[in-house]
Amino acid sequence: MIEAGVLIDKNGCPIHWHLPEGRTGGSIPDTRTLWDVIWEARDHVLGFAHSHPGGGIPAPSWTDLTTFAAIEAALGRRLYWWITSSEHFIRLEWCGPEKTDYSFRTSAYTPDWVDELRRASDLETVDGRNRQ
Amino acid sequence: MEEITNNLIPNTEARVNVTYSGQNGDLSDTVFFESTDGDVRSWVTEAVQNGSIPGINAAADADFGDFVVDRFAATEDRPYNLIQLRPKTPFGK
Repeated sequence: MIEAGVLIDKNGCPIHWHLPEGRTGGSIPDTRTLWDVIWEARDHVLGFAHSHPGGGIPAPSWTDLTTFAAIEAALGRRLYWWITSSEHFIRLEWCGPEKTDYSFRTSAYTPDWVDELRRASDLETVDGRNRQ
Repeated sequence: MEEITNNLIPNTEARVNVTYSGQNGDLSDTVFFESTDGDVRSWVTEAVQNGSIPGINAAADADFGDFVVDRFAATEDRPYNLIQLRPKTPFGK
């Protein structure tokens, strides 16, 4: 399994698959490219999704939360932040008052790009194989 | 820091470009190109907090602790060194 990300626009469509070199099973490295893409798409970006290894309900790391906050500070507006494991898909959004206070909700509905993100992450799904 | 005059920037200096709150602007002064990341963040934080960057509204709570300092040497198209602050983008560990 290797973490992967995707930038989603306000129509719910992927606009950039973030598959940089240096990804591992537990992290996606800092890249200027992702910020450049977000800034270029700033008027129509809805949020960013990334994958976490394994099953269960995923939770954001401290790195995730501080990255969410830094990008929103630079953009001057809030985004949605999704995280998927092989079984569950959550959406986080800032709830305040502190800059790293984000609440999350699980979602029964998973957009098509979630399966693509799981495939890009080589995540095994609940039934033990990748969906094709 | 050295005041920019006639857009001539010594090769030991750099323009500092900042993106914050959906706005973009340059520090009014150049800085040494090899200034530490901490110094650059400190100067930018002070400048944004007091509203001295043209194009970026003052933000008293501006915090650049999770921003990355990127450095770009002068090129033929951009004949001066450039330092840019942008948000970090790692996920995971």
